Amino acid sequence: MAGEMMTGNLAAAWGARLAGVDYIPAFPITPQTEIVEALATWCESGAMAARFVTMDSEHSMMTAAGAAAATGARVFTATSSQGLLYAMEVLYSISGWRAPLVLVNVSRALAAPITLEPDHNDVLAARDSGFLQIHAETCQEVLDSILMAYRIAEDARVMLPVIVNLDGFYLSFTREPVILPAPEQVAQFLPPFRPAHLGFKASAPHALGVAVLGGTPYSYFRHQMHLAAMNALDVHSETAAAFERLFGRRYDVVEGYRLDDAEDVLVMTNAFASRGKVAVDAARAEGRRVGLLRLRMIRPWPADAIRDALRSRRAVAVLDQNLAPGQGGILFQEIAASLYGEPLRPRALCSFIGGLGGKNLSEGEFRAIFDQTAEAGVRGKGIGPILLYTEAEHREMTQLQALAGGLNS
Amino acid sequence: MIAVRFHGRGGQGAKTASRILGTAAFLEGFVAQDSPIYGAERRGAPVAAYTRIAREPIRERGLIVHPDLVVVADASLIPDPAARVLEGIDERTAVFVNSPLTPEQFHAQGSLPGRLTTLDLTDIALQQFGKGGAISALLGVVAGRLVGLRQDSLREAIVRELADLSLAASVIERNQAVAFNCYDAVRPVLVEAVAPQPIPPAQLQRPTYEPPTRGTARISAAANSVLRETGGWRTFRPVLVPDKCNGCWLCFVYCPDGVISMTKDDKPVIDYDHCKGCQICVHECPTDALVAEREKEGGVAWRAK
Repeated sequence: MAGEMMTGNLAAAWGARLAGVDYIPAFPITPQTEIVEALATWCESGAMAARFVTMDSEHSMMTAAGAAAATGARVFTATSSQGLLYAMEVLYSISGWRAPLVLVNVSRALAAPITLEPDHNDVLAARDSGFLQIHAETCQEVLDSILMAYRIAEDARVMLPVIVNLDGFYLSFTREPVILPAPEQVAQFLPPFRPAHLGFKASAPHALGVAVLGGTPYSYFRHQMHLAAMNALDVHSETAAAFERLFGRRYDVVEGYRLDDAEDVLVMTNAFASRGKVAVDAARAEGRRVGLLRLRMIRPWPADAIRDALRSRRAVAVLDQNLAPGQGGILFQEIAASLYGEPLRPRALCSFIGGLGGKNLSEGEFRAIFDQTAEAGVRGKGIGPILLYTEAEHREMTQLQALAGGLNS
Repeated sequence: MIAVRFHGRGGQGAKTASRILGTAAFLEGFVAQDSPIYGAERRGAPVAAYTRIAREPIRERGLIVHPDLVVVADASLIPDPAARVLEGIDERTAVFVNSPLTPEQFHAQGSLPGRLTTLDLTDIALQQFGKGGAISALLGVVAGRLVGLRQDSLREAIVRELADLSLAASVIERNQAVAFNCYDAVRPVLVEAVAPQPIPPAQLQRPTYEPPTRGTARISAAANSVLRETGGWRTFRPVLVPDKCNGCWLCFVYCPDGVISMTKDDKPVIDYDHCKGCQICVHECPTDALVAEREKEGGVAWRAK
């Protein structure tokens, strides 16, 4: 097989290296640290010409990243989980400056209770920040998405920063073959960054993110960000075509798997979508007409592509690897909103919550999802949110509670 | 419902006046609502405040676009388009202006429509308090008089609102006394609730994408703050008495806006186009060589860009 064995983290670092970034502010956090370690090594050895700076927190790191991008530098940085939340207010500033850097987030579930394994409450907390979001399923896709992200972000029709997301452990520490694009081809794909509205020149000072009062100018600028984000759908499509021409791999805003004659469709994101595809194959082998829709681009929200993929299906199950307490699954809400105005919408829309804190999504759980979704489709009435958690897992939990409470309680 | 709009400069007390009016109305059993709007809280910057008084629950909020009474604490705001003093005023609107000019003089200038009444509150404050900056109690009581509120409720409202600002009881009493001189002195004009006109649906602009050079909140013009003559924010100006100046440079150091420069013989020169009239230099001068002088009607504050 072509390529080299590497982790998702190393693939992310290679993405930044091949993109020829100028500046990398860094702060370590599990499970992201390997990315900045690799970049630090390359900057130290001279393999990369970027300036690498360790910062005192993710808040400072994102501030430095945004400020550097505002001078016209190509900037890369990476974080995870609590780090992303700590940097959160700066994300909104950077998108408002229209500073198109790329941030890799390695998903890790949020405290409390504290854990290290992935779910998507961290990255989805940034869904309204004005950063675009691309969620990757494989280590190869991590690397390729970073290159695509720079081209989309730096397009004058967009000029917004991008988050590329990969799952902690299941991609970040997982090795699989990754093909490294040739640097001269990357140079062809990714032109130098020359923004007209950013830059640093003492003889031509400018102010970014200025105060605007009264609501009218604020509305104008926020509307512009929305229009810019929506433009990214077309720009992504052009970028995907250019990428395919040069590198032979194709990525669209959504990926359909065995959708052609599928009655019921499972919607997923990120690394566990691979498991979802295996479950689809197993169900297909039993003669069940099921398929999978993987959402790759979360912002801008590819509503048309989602409607095209889900129109006229019997039932749709959205498997959210996140939980909005008191509401349910975050992506379920957005899928439901996209389908409501569709005359040929599915007869049943079902919500499942699974894989929280990196909990495994077992074959049995996928079977339960397909069964319940099919029944809902026959009944013509949606279900959920169904919290995926098995009886066997609960027995394990009960034992832990006994230990935590003292053996006598 | 009666809708009262106050216009003043930061530090004059327009917001507190709107609260005195709101509290007094509330004490008389009306439903009341008051709210201010201002940018960064800066002395001298234009401020607006709104008080609504009704017998039924009030379902409006925020800006008053069609006021029944407008109270102008500083006449230099009238020609400033950013202050929007004239917005929604027609010949039926009651307007009070803190000014030495008479309504006839304003009408002759043609600068203000409406049922005008004026009184020089700043001069009264200077005579009575020795300083004319904060005139919230005077503004509030004048507004209360014009909308027909009682003296006892206004008196109690002053106590509540000024005590809320941690003013001493003696200061509050003095404010009450001076305010009720104004209550008697202001010439009443008719304040009446005007029935709202039917409003056509807004013509919505469909936003289109513009390149980031235009569509980003960004200022690339160099040194354009000098174009904004914040000298218009002053109600009082610092004036140098050269004989008293000992050349200590303290005014230069304390000026928060950097509008004081020093001559070769250590005397301050004030850039009146941009001095906001905060009076910090007057306060800090150890030899009282800087004194506050009231801006004259029609003076620099009225002409500032």
